[in-house]
Amino acid sequence: MNAHVQSFRPPAKDELAWLGTRPIPTQPYYDPAWYADEIEAIFKRSWLQIGHVCELPQPDSYIVRELEFASVSLLIIRGADGEVRAMHNVCTHRGTQLVDTRSGTAQKFSCRYHRWTFTNDGKLLGAPDFEQFNLEKAACAIPRVHCQVIAGLIFVNLTKGPVEDLRSWLGDMAAQLEETPVVGATHLTEYTYDINSNWKLTYDNFQENYHLRFIHSRTAGAGVGESNPFGYPRAYGFYGPHRTQAIWMNFDASFTPLQQLGMARSARVLAERGIDPVGSCAYLALFPTMFLFASSQQPFSHTVYPLGPTRSRGVIRLYWHGADANPSERFAREFSGMLLRDVHSEDRSVIEAGQRGLSSGALDHIHFQTQESLCRHLFNEVEARVLALRAQRDGGRA
Amino acid sequence: MSGRLPPAFAELEPFVGYWAAATTAGRAAARDRAGPAECARFFAAGFPRVQEALDYLDAKGFAQFDAADERLMALVLGLVHAGLAADVQGPDEPRHALTRPDMKLQVSPADVAPAL
Repeated sequence: MNAHVQSFRPPAKDELAWLGTRPIPTQPYYDPAWYADEIEAIFKRSWLQIGHVCELPQPDSYIVRELEFASVSLLIIRGADGEVRAMHNVCTHRGTQLVDTRSGTAQKFSCRYHRWTFTNDGKLLGAPDFEQFNLEKAACAIPRVHCQVIAGLIFVNLTKGPVEDLRSWLGDMAAQLEETPVVGATHLTEYTYDINSNWKLTYDNFQENYHLRFIHSRTAGAGVGESNPFGYPRAYGFYGPHRTQAIWMNFDASFTPLQQLGMARSARVLAERGIDPVGSCAYLALFPTMFLFASSQQPFSHTVYPLGPTRSRGVIRLYWHGADANPSERFAREFSGMLLRDVHSEDRSVIEAGQRGLSSGALDHIHFQTQESLCRHLFNEVEARVLALRAQRDGGRA
Repeated sequence: MSGRLPPAFAELEPFVGYWAAATTAGRAAARDRAGPAECARFFAAGFPRVQEALDYLDAKGFAQFDAADERLMALVLGLVHAGLAADVQGPDEPRHALTRPDMKLQVSPADVAPAL
């Protein structure tokens, strides 16, 4: 047995006692009223990561993002000046959605209903028979949405009125993000899944490693090992509402022939690009629902969007630098993406089983152990915001 | 007129029609439809040649690909999917296949139009 294997100890209970040890109520995982308050207190007020600048490769590129939890459709545009902006996908005449494609390039957008036409930064350019209105064009601009970029990741904030700057909101996480492979990425692998589970239940699955050896017995790879059978992290970090874990790796793990080939080709092509194939492996979780697993071979983000009290959507993106340079790189990326998809498919199945149990009402509480402290931290942060909203609302009624 | 595959890999031609799908989503769907036995049959035939195939394709480079090379590239990528079933999931593949299609592929860097 290796020395590093013998010496592993997960973070101790007393280090994390400040988070509390109470059982967690189940109602917030299915209650429609609680969910509605989460949307109001969190999702309509927080910075949300919704894209990457590589999706806007040139001036006048745009993407459309549907934020179902808020019934909002957003247009994200790179202007002629290179700036990335967000505005509602809505015509200011009668509210019709302007764009029904997922992405494209356009200097202006015309509403199909009455042909109101807007510049791609939202100004009304013209409208047929505009003299019939008692309006100034300047008053008909499309409403903007707060939009900022850090590390190539595009964030929006639906707050009306001033908001905290994104870099300030991220705190120390901003600099950590800027050290990850998402910076400078030019190509993506993306897969998505819809799931019958509350967004917290979905997200929590990816904040703890306790389940790895049971759910990913064939795909966990270097995530577990003899000295660390549950694959617990080496450390946790907490930064306001955000959190990190220091991933533990089993350097003695054994792999199947396909895995060995995929990893070997990946290491070779990364080396050709001057990237350390082992390197660091940051795990950065941004409140409320995005985390980044920034390994060299498989750098990916996973964002969970709420769709209802017991429904959510996961969006997984792997970030690549440059188009496939050669067939080995194409092979390595296909392998990395599809192995990860297998892993997440295993997660999805068991998460839905968890929601069925919670929605049954059989339990008043669930339990987080010390090595599920990131889940507890998320719950604490969510609960504080919902209770503050309710107190504010109740105070207003008094 | 080139063959279905470069001559050195002609033994794998029986697998081209099914496994050399043009997109990542198409190859993933091929794994789902094939079932464990067919994935294992393809993997057993193809994996012993995959290093050689990648070396051949690397040496040639995308810019010099002809239609047979495009098919070999797609076939090698198909082997990733068959291999995840046969080599990684093994006996768990039937259970795994029940929910995996719900993981919808949206974007892949490999999704370029091959000259098949």
